[in-house]
Amino acid sequence: MPSLVTISTASQKRSLTLVGLGGILVFLLAISLSLGAFPISIGKVFQFLMGVQLGNEALTIQEHNVLLQIRLPRIVMAMLVGGSLSLAGAALQGLFRNPLVEPGLIGVSSGSALFAVVYIVFGSSVAWLAWMGKVGLALFAFVGGLVNTALVYKLSSKAGKTDISLLILAGVALNALAGALIGLAIFYADDAALRNFTFWSLGDVGGANWHKVLILALISVLPVGLILGQYQALNALAIGESEAFHMGINVQQTKLVVLIGSALIVGTAVAFTGTIGFVGLVIPHLLRILFGADHRLVLPASWLAGAILLTIADTLARTMVAPSEMPIGIITAIIGAPFFIWLLLSIKQIRS
Amino acid sequence: MLQASNIHFCIQQRPIVNTAEISIAPGKLTTIIGPNGAGKSTLLKILAGDIVCQQGVISYNGQDLKNLKARDLAKIRAVMPQHSQLSFPFQVREVVELGMIALGDRADQSIVQEVMEETQTWQFRDKLYSQLSGGEKQRVQLSRVLAQIWGESSNPRYLLLDEPTSSLDIAHQHQVLHIASRLKHKNIGILAVLHDLNMAAAYSDQVIMLKNGRIYQSGSVEETLTSEKLHHVYDYPIQVFDHQGYHGKHIQSLPLHQNSAIVKTA
Repeated sequence: MPSLVTISTASQKRSLTLVGLGGILVFLLAISLSLGAFPISIGKVFQFLMGVQLGNEALTIQEHNVLLQIRLPRIVMAMLVGGSLSLAGAALQGLFRNPLVEPGLIGVSSGSALFAVVYIVFGSSVAWLAWMGKVGLALFAFVGGLVNTALVYKLSSKAGKTDISLLILAGVALNALAGALIGLAIFYADDAALRNFTFWSLGDVGGANWHKVLILALISVLPVGLILGQYQALNALAIGESEAFHMGINVQQTKLVVLIGSALIVGTAVAFTGTIGFVGLVIPHLLRILFGADHRLVLPASWLAGAILLTIADTLARTMVAPSEMPIGIITAIIGAPFFIWLLLSIKQIRS
Repeated sequence: MLQASNIHFCIQQRPIVNTAEISIAPGKLTTIIGPNGAGKSTLLKILAGDIVCQQGVISYNGQDLKNLKARDLAKIRAVMPQHSQLSFPFQVREVVELGMIALGDRADQSIVQEVMEETQTWQFRDKLYSQLSGGEKQRVQLSRVLAQIWGESSNPRYLLLDEPTSSLDIAHQHQVLHIASRLKHKNIGILAVLHDLNMAAAYSDQVIMLKNGRIYQSGSVEETLTSEKLHHVYDYPIQVFDHQGYHGKHIQSLPLHQNSAIVKTA
């Protein structure tokens, strides 16, 4: 039976792709751990990860601490954030049936940025805000993202149904409004606040610690799982909303899961690391070109590939201009954009 | 039985479908005909559950449509839309497999192959959907819809087709309607919106004539497709002849300038 062979190869291909991406991620983790202002050999990294000593030089306590307290949480954070942004991008593109959608469209990023700038500019002059320090910034950014997404959702829903085209328009409108209010806050900012906000908006994974990683992981695990479970619904939605309903999909439930889930994971990511663009737009697109559109593969692969991209970007961010650091958002765009352009051109050539 | 009684749907106070009574029996092919804007597609959408009618009751096998979950409904009725554009690069085979989502996690490959051979789309199975022509896309969509109700079931099921032949050549039009007629033997009731009156005459067991949101007449081909009634429904002179050589009808309309010539000479 030829048909049985093809289905097994299709699912085999899928597992192989995911295992391959996972392997690349683990490999990058090891490479990234060994690189930095304070170089540590791969053999020692292996000892740190596996607990088995390789070669004749043992891991010192100082090196152990650098790996455990500084590099590992930072890398894990980069992976979690990259995975979240990319998965949310893939799911939202599926929901909106548009490959040009990125997580920012539902208002999370702009809402977060608005609340962050308000906190950075005015926070120091309000006693109870100043007391919260860095935690306050993350909390403000998180709440801002959720509030703005809730507004976008409210504006586009009527009688329990969400109009997707209205959602895009509401997102654009509220993004513009948030942009204007950010401008207004910047107008009142002093130089230090301005510089602070600029760097926040370019993204930064530095300052990661296990507390932050734990919070990020705890908040994202459920939404990530729920979104991954929507693969069938998103596949059906690619044909159309009413068609998905005809095929037995509860469309409104899918919209809610994807929107709320994305707002949660992107909101948390932005709160801890600032706005990191490009990942959520490009990774899912790339995967669809390479492996096809089936969300059963695209969703988990997006998470892995997003984690890979951000791990690479963060490693470059902290090694290129060491001991100083480059904002990570610059790097994702600088390596991502030319690569994407190259990919588009080569696909064109293959097709013609 | 798919039954609708006293259904009513308005858009901005204007009735689109007005107090319609319909019953679709399994094993029968029913067609809806009528001029543009008569409410054919809206009626189909109401019956499919896409839009909620403001009045009246719709029931599938005795169960109220309102109480049926999307997934349970999908097991007893499939709908083929007029147009379908795909937003992502899916393979043709993947599109057809999507039809079987409601039936379980893994698509039955033998059914996929069977329906694709039936619609003559099996040879495109590994192509990208976006590379197909309009007519090929329509046949792929038909395969997807067929896959949804192809397997055996003890319950009567229903297939709603919105202009299933609109982008097809004449041979494929016949082929699609032939498939639809054969589906009747699987205890499936079929409701199709058709524009081609000859196709409707050749394949229907029951015809519903719709005008201005109201059912003007419903019944057998003999009862409904007469020159007089068609003229009334379409506001255009239409001639119906008994077909020479086989038991059927031949429906014809003349170009507008010839019509006015007839009127002038008369």
